[in-house]
Amino acid sequence: MPIDAANPVPPTFPRHVGMDQVPAHVPKDLIRQSGLTFGPEFLANPHDFMAAMHEKQPPIYYDVSPMGNMWHLIKHEDALFGLRHPEIFSNEGATPFPRDPNDYFYFIPIEIDPPHHRKYRNIVDPVFSPKGVLKLEGLIRKRANDLIDSFIDKGACEFTEEFGRPLPVSVFLDIMGLPQDMRDTFVSWAMELLHSNDRERMGAAMMSITEYLKDAIAEKKANPDDGVVSLIAHAAPDGVPLSDKEIFGFVCFLFIGGLDTVFATLNNIWLYLARNPAKVQEIAERMDNDIDRIVEELLRRWSVTFSGRVLDQDYEMRGVQMKKGDRVTFILPACNFDPDVFPNPLEVDFDRPRKTILAFTVGVHSCMGGHLARLEVKIALQEWLKRIPEFKLKEGAHIEYRPGGVIGPEEVTLTWK
Amino acid sequence: MPKVHYVDHTGQDTEMDVPVGENVMHGAVYNGIEGIAGECGGALSCATCHCYVDDAWTAKVGGPSSEAEEELLENASSEVKPNSRLSCQIEMTDDLDGLVIHMPESQY
Repeated sequence: MPIDAANPVPPTFPRHVGMDQVPAHVPKDLIRQSGLTFGPEFLANPHDFMAAMHEKQPPIYYDVSPMGNMWHLIKHEDALFGLRHPEIFSNEGATPFPRDPNDYFYFIPIEIDPPHHRKYRNIVDPVFSPKGVLKLEGLIRKRANDLIDSFIDKGACEFTEEFGRPLPVSVFLDIMGLPQDMRDTFVSWAMELLHSNDRERMGAAMMSITEYLKDAIAEKKANPDDGVVSLIAHAAPDGVPLSDKEIFGFVCFLFIGGLDTVFATLNNIWLYLARNPAKVQEIAERMDNDIDRIVEELLRRWSVTFSGRVLDQDYEMRGVQMKKGDRVTFILPACNFDPDVFPNPLEVDFDRPRKTILAFTVGVHSCMGGHLARLEVKIALQEWLKRIPEFKLKEGAHIEYRPGGVIGPEEVTLTWK
Repeated sequence: MPKVHYVDHTGQDTEMDVPVGENVMHGAVYNGIEGIAGECGGALSCATCHCYVDDAWTAKVGGPSSEAEEELLENASSEVKPNSRLSCQIEMTDDLDGLVIHMPESQY
């Protein structure tokens, strides 16, 4: 689909919601109401739920949900194929966040298909490349230790609020050049947008974000600094400055992407570690030599999100006929549990042969923050285990998962001696 | 600035400046050279920046730089040969000025 990012228009294909809006070409026997992201079975233990999909569901099925009907794909092989063929599985209009149709914009670069998306990635990729993020290592270590200082003597902390959230969010705000004192406000907007599962509340959150970011961009235009908001506001690929709509859509997308994902990832991992002291021991022993393997395997086991696409043509896979305009979600955590690729998928095994994991999706839209996320997980593990080598879940702690498109527990209260 | 020759499967040779310290994958991706996908951005996680180092350069460039690169190369979609490398793991130096790499027909 040709796309003009400077003159965005809302997508024309319809959103289908609920059982009475299942298109006629969907075979009855492939219709499911899986409850993914909100059902009680999912929320009780989302990762086990997604691993079990390989036994309970066909590889491709049509999910009917109050959040929108779409095809779900759960095989690793199908995700690699689909996500690497943007001419079939397009990103245009595939991002679920509501926008004002009278002031429409694209989320950049995620909604931009090749070849145009590279223009945008080239602006920020150097900052987020493995080398680029290494410059942040000292800062991240310091922030991690400052946080640990603030609670270590208590012998307890509520991990998500006291470490899981402030570490990645404060690092992200440093990178963007946004003020630290807005941290909690930003997070609350992101929570509404990603976890309210309510289109009206999502819309209200989007309004607050829009208002704030437009001011922030104007400020950076007037007073350039080293942050990524300023970098984007002043970018001029091939000598042509980005338009206001492009700048806003780009900054807004990074803002949403940066506030919630590493947070959820750390929360998942620390909950697991608190319940598995033998693994903590193994990590501590192997950390000096195998930290990259350890991080990669933990990211496979505790992936937090999904990739949405829209069919840009009629397409048949595994005998299932899908039609142009159908929405598709690749269930990335389920793909990471595909037993054909990762035998005993729920087992955390740092010695697995290296395979492509889908924690950061694949294809041209692979997560640009993936290197930063890896570095943050690595540093968090190293600094935490150095200082708090043994810890467990608080006695009687009840774990509840947050509904929505980024998967993680609400609260993880830890104790140690 | 040192130059790299990116030769595609049809034999077409594109010469690009790649700064010292940058890797050969980025040199292709940032300059719009098709044939290197580099989709994970250099995290040693995807094997889509597979290339063949030209015979004249293999001694200078060397083999896989880590166990991880070696393992991941096994996932490359095109035939893996003795001169196969992941281009994200080849860092430019002045010594590599003029480097020639060959790209497979597809990275998927």
